[in-house]
Amino acid sequence: MFKTTKVKLDSSLVERVRKFAEIAGYSSPEEFITHALEKELALLEDAGDEEEIKKRLQGLGYMS
Amino acid sequence: MVAAAMTALLPATAEAYIGPGAGFAVLGSFAVLFVTMLLAGVSILAWPFRTLWRMVRRRRKAKPLVKRVVFLGFDGQDARITERMMAEGKLPNLSRLAERGGYRRLRTTFPSITPVAWSSFSTGTNPGRHNIFDFLDRDPRTYLPRLSSAHIGSVDRFLKLGKLRIPLAKPDIRLLRKSKPWWTILGEHNIWSTVIRVPITFPPDRFYGAQLGAMCIPDLLGTQGTFLYFTTRNESADFQEGGVRVALEPNGADNRLEATVEGPENAFFEGNPPMRLPLVLEVDRDAASARVSVDGSTIELARGQLSDWVRLDFKAVPGMKVSGLTRLMLTEAGEHVSLYMSPINIEPGKPAMPISHPSYYSAYLEKKIGPFATLGLAEDTWALNEKVTDDGTFWAQTQDVDAEREQMLDLALDRLRSGALVTVFDATDRVNHMYWRYIDDGHPAARGVVEPEYADAIERQYRRNDAIVGRVMDKLGDDDVLFVLSDHGCTSFRRGVNLNAWLLEQGYLALRDGADGTESWLQSVDWSKTRAYAVGLVGIFLNIRGREAQGIVEPDAEVAALKAEIADKLRGLVDPETGDVAINEAFDTDVLYRGPYKGNAPDLLMGYNHGYRISWDCASGVVAGPVFSDNVKAWSGDHIVDPRLVPGILLSNRAITSDDPHIVDLAPTVLTLFGVEPAPHMDGQPLLDTTRLGGR
Repeated sequence: MFKTTKVKLDSSLVERVRKFAEIAGYSSPEEFITHALEKELALLEDAGDEEEIKKRLQGLGYMS
Repeated sequence: MVAAAMTALLPATAEAYIGPGAGFAVLGSFAVLFVTMLLAGVSILAWPFRTLWRMVRRRRKAKPLVKRVVFLGFDGQDARITERMMAEGKLPNLSRLAERGGYRRLRTTFPSITPVAWSSFSTGTNPGRHNIFDFLDRDPRTYLPRLSSAHIGSVDRFLKLGKLRIPLAKPDIRLLRKSKPWWTILGEHNIWSTVIRVPITFPPDRFYGAQLGAMCIPDLLGTQGTFLYFTTRNESADFQEGGVRVALEPNGADNRLEATVEGPENAFFEGNPPMRLPLVLEVDRDAASARVSVDGSTIELARGQLSDWVRLDFKAVPGMKVSGLTRLMLTEAGEHVSLYMSPINIEPGKPAMPISHPSYYSAYLEKKIGPFATLGLAEDTWALNEKVTDDGTFWAQTQDVDAEREQMLDLALDRLRSGALVTVFDATDRVNHMYWRYIDDGHPAARGVVEPEYADAIERQYRRNDAIVGRVMDKLGDDDVLFVLSDHGCTSFRRGVNLNAWLLEQGYLALRDGADGTESWLQSVDWSKTRAYAVGLVGIFLNIRGREAQGIVEPDAEVAALKAEIADKLRGLVDPETGDVAINEAFDTDVLYRGPYKGNAPDLLMGYNHGYRISWDCASGVVAGPVFSDNVKAWSGDHIVDPRLVPGILLSNRAITSDDPHIVDLAPTVLTLFGVEPAPHMDGQPLLDTTRLGGR
């Protein structure tokens, strides 16, 4: 959950990320990189079990 | 025993995983005790080294202008009611604070709802930068709603030992709120913060400070709050909002009844069967009382009286259990017997999920103040909505939760020598929601009610808040800054609007052949012919090709025109039954938001008028039925309206320089007070004149 790990990236890429992170509205270069990876992963990961999703929403009150 | 032994040998705090649904990481009781004591010991021994290391590592020095900054948040405290009561002399401490520093209405976020507004408070950013736009998001692959604030994954790697299977990993639990909260930035400058129950802090942030999480911490069933209703009544209808009926069966004698409490799923066994506890109820009908025995505890209950917290330990495998807290109430003791069991909260002393930072903070709090509610939405609004409980029970629940919170605040404030402290009280919002029908003449949910006992519940709650403010003011010194704020206000919810029914009527949404629209979760929708749909509570999504799985609206050629067309039709939409305007405006979120996550927002955000909100049916994905309908539920006030109609409040013991402050301004303000430059990604502006603070 809170664990982090180090990944090696090309330093020129990191520089570009650093340059544009603030312009794009991210709070840090790490957040920029995380968002980019999460967007790509979302295309690959499956959506999960439908019943499980409904169950988790139970009790939010707006849901039946 | 093998499982227990293996678990004890597992690295990384010896956690094992229970239930993919709940996503619970459980610790064996021995392991918990051992690890907690070990952590405490190591923490004490390492303290001097950690302090030294922090001083070396965090070279960024800040020169605080103040000693302590304290935020008291009263979720949902309405500006209009507050102002009226202040004028009537009913809130003397708020008036005193306003005279000493200032009072302003506080602009809230679009939309004006708790998870969005408090995320903007935390990060100083608009939703486009913190990624929380609603309670719910939708999965564009399935069109199904999902929690917007937290991802709770499941474990799919197990070691099988006969019938047993040992989870080999921990579930992935992630906070989906992005950007960086101000307490993390303060921590980077070696400034401590204590953060108690600020919404959207589950799982908690990791920073230099302590935090108790809040919305959307689940209950032990992995849901956002499911009460259990044990009854001899032969009713099978589901509750619409978050409750489960369980049959109470006779056991030998007329006055002896039994049932089974089904707890969290047990991932140690194939199929994740629920962990169970037997419950026995002996009723004394003449005395209208009962004795309930569950998990070794025996509780004497008088009808209509809410018990104290009852601890439940669900055994997963020998040596491992999941602990929860619940409250019981005997609701019937006559021909029929019924027992209410509140949602089973995660036990803070042995939390089955990460609910605080550091992990032992919740256990520390329990040690100091006793058991307390941990569920994100701790007050059981749904049991009242379903008429399982009553106004009095709900009032008792909210006041008890408030009292627990007050104890946490006192404890933290007394210990805080320098740094920031924020505590959010939720009761005001819940009381607004549930008792608004008594302050709005003619509300559909109060028809036939004469002289309700809780007609003054909202005023009582506001006076209680005022007393808390007074006590805190008296504890603060000249070097301390106090802010009292709310994230939004509240208004009446008389009529519901089913946006999906409207979209169907207007030809933007189509049903499958043979479907009548009564299915929930938009299961009746023909996506190949649907251009727009509503999911969640605040807006409308377009069915965009390449974004939605079965999108048909062309992203470049059609989106802007379609949004404008729908917004034009919704602007000033009139409820034909009342003649009132139901929707003031439909806002284009592409214009409203700035930031990297704005693409996750609904395409249009509804600005409902006073008295209107999304209907209960629409919120659960039902398309059928009328566009407009009366709201007859106890949940009778709301704030999912045009945000300009429901501002929050802001008071401080220092002069507020802005005439029109916004909730995003608080984060840069607190940073400035501690001598830290507001972060470039923040949208807000500091609200106090630091040159007039006097400095330290």
